[in-house]
Amino acid sequence: MTARPLNPRAAIDTRASLLVQDPRTKARNATEKRFRAYGLSAIVVALLALVWLLISIFGNGLPAFKQTFITLPVTLDAALLDKGGKRDPADLAKATTVTYGKLLASSLEADVAAKGLNLGDMKPKDLTKMISEESPATLRNRVLADPSLIGTTIEVNVLASGRIDGYYKGRVTMESAALDKNTSPAQLALADQLKTAGVMKTQINPGFLTMPDASDKRPEAAGLGVAIVGSLYMMFVVLVLALPIGVATSVYLEEFAPKNKFTDLIEVNIANLAAVPSIVYGILGLSIFINFAGLPQSAPIVGGLVLTLMTLPRIIIPTRAALKAVPPSIRDAALGIGASRLQTITHHVLPLAMPGILTGTIIGLAQALGETAPLLLIGMVAFVRDFPGGPPEGLFDPASALPVQIYNWTQRGDPGFVERASGAIIVLLVFLIAMNAVAIYFRRKFERRW
Amino acid sequence: MKDQRLETRVDTQTIKIEARKAQVYYGTNHAIKDVDVDIMDKTVTAFIGPSGCGKSTFLRCLNRMNDTIPSCRVEGSITLEGESIYDPRVDPVQLRARIGMVFQKPNPFPKSIYDNVAYGPKIHGLTRNKAELDAIVESCLRKAALWNEVKDRLQAPGTGLSGGQQQRLCIARAIATSPEVLLMDEPCSALDPIATAQVEELIDELRSQFSVVIVTHSMQQAARVSQRTAFFHLGNLVEFGETGQIFTNPKDPRTESYISGRIG
Repeated sequence: MTARPLNPRAAIDTRASLLVQDPRTKARNATEKRFRAYGLSAIVVALLALVWLLISIFGNGLPAFKQTFITLPVTLDAALLDKGGKRDPADLAKATTVTYGKLLASSLEADVAAKGLNLGDMKPKDLTKMISEESPATLRNRVLADPSLIGTTIEVNVLASGRIDGYYKGRVTMESAALDKNTSPAQLALADQLKTAGVMKTQINPGFLTMPDASDKRPEAAGLGVAIVGSLYMMFVVLVLALPIGVATSVYLEEFAPKNKFTDLIEVNIANLAAVPSIVYGILGLSIFINFAGLPQSAPIVGGLVLTLMTLPRIIIPTRAALKAVPPSIRDAALGIGASRLQTITHHVLPLAMPGILTGTIIGLAQALGETAPLLLIGMVAFVRDFPGGPPEGLFDPASALPVQIYNWTQRGDPGFVERASGAIIVLLVFLIAMNAVAIYFRRKFERRW
Repeated sequence: MKDQRLETRVDTQTIKIEARKAQVYYGTNHAIKDVDVDIMDKTVTAFIGPSGCGKSTFLRCLNRMNDTIPSCRVEGSITLEGESIYDPRVDPVQLRARIGMVFQKPNPFPKSIYDNVAYGPKIHGLTRNKAELDAIVESCLRKAALWNEVKDRLQAPGTGLSGGQQQRLCIARAIATSPEVLLMDEPCSALDPIATAQVEELIDELRSQFSVVIVTHSMQQAARVSQRTAFFHLGNLVEFGETGQIFTNPKDPRTESYISGRIG
């Protein structure tokens, strides 16, 4: 080796003191500092946005998990509820929710009188409006399910109306109540007295997760039950279809398919499909699964199929990357011993690629879980009160889905739905975080070094 | 370490693999031209030559590992005990069970030491029960001179061994299917001198049961372990003969230049 020829200027610079930076070094260091500052500021902005998002969602959404209930003793008068007196189900059904509503109102009136509370300028019938319109139906269902209750006095825990509930969540004030035909300051004043008397309580509301959606006037009764079941059914369909099809496609393309123009075309198209707007898949699903195949609208099976189509490229791409990342020496080793190609893949390549495949699949599922647009087109935005049946038949029953339910609630007029929508976003985020945690767990568990 | 055994007698004369006018093409590139080689049974045959001369390519033709490269095409005849290995009726999977291979870089499966050795017998159905499998694993690890080092940790991952141990594990894995021929593609190039010496010693011992073909960059190694040597240059087989003769009295001037360090 010959000595490296020295740049004459560099020779001069090196003769200067090492303690003094020359202009070139200063400029380079300044560039580096600026670059770091850009990166850091980008991260800070992103973090601030995240904090803002979390504060606004949790601030708006957490109250949705609590609800105001009124606890009342109700005497189920047989003369009112069972005019035939024979406990005949057909007879019992004749007592409508109006009857039960009156029963609840009179029970509340009696309770208020018994506790000696001040009604203010309210007439007794105005008490009806303090109880949710949903509550008579709940009580009626309870009685129809167990007719032996008739004639006894039972303790019921009924939902307070959305306005009363809103008063305890800061949504309704005395001033706004004065302008609101759905409530009055006198109701709120009585509510405060009921609260002190222990008749009214604001407590954790499991119904938010278990009850079905409710109509526009009853935000207090709206729950995510049907949406959660629908989303779980769809995720089940996506997992069962997309994982095997996606992995099989990837293995075939990566390990068996000849490399030619045709497979190149397929590869390019898979990459493109991953970028197709999801609403396009909705139109595809509408025309294939509903119009052509005749599957029912609003059904989780159709939603699952559409989301499967959408998720497939998103599973295939990371799966192929994971297969590619398995070192060729492992394939050589297995083939060299006389393993067949399929044995090589199933015994060695797939287990090594498993963390990548599972991560890709779960991220794909998480994206599918949050997808709204294609579901709107296949009718999952419908108002569904009835829970779908158990699988597999339940897959064909109408259901909702979490993101669609959120979208739906943001369209409603009653301010009570704002907290519902934010609360539903929290539920969706919890599901997504849980799925990502599972992905991380699998990656750690199956990760093997070679 | 063994001395250069220049006068070693070639002990057996049965021909195991016979190549006649073998040609290999990668697409339009003619990589191997008119190679005639006889691989004898119970003999170590070394392929030497400069990088890119085609010795590894030719080695991989002998158990059809080149099948995995789509553009690769083999012509001419290569036979194992008289049967053409490129006959369309031949399943490469069966062929590779009879012609095992050890690679340049140690490549144990990321499984336990036991599973590494047991894999071949398992997929070929060579054992009927666990006891037989245990026996095979032990005897192969003993033949590969690894048993004493790993007998207490057979369930430890094979990838946790040192480089030389990994390569001996790969040899144990290759001989577990009881092949007739063992192909070794530069088995020592990733190993340090001590591990190299161990593997070379092992190759010499394996010769009593298998026919061994070894590709090597090191002429000293070829001289130490082989009885017959083939010198490849630019895709041609330049010279093939007894190792002693190739190193002391080469007939072709190119061989002489290579072994004396002038080309390569």
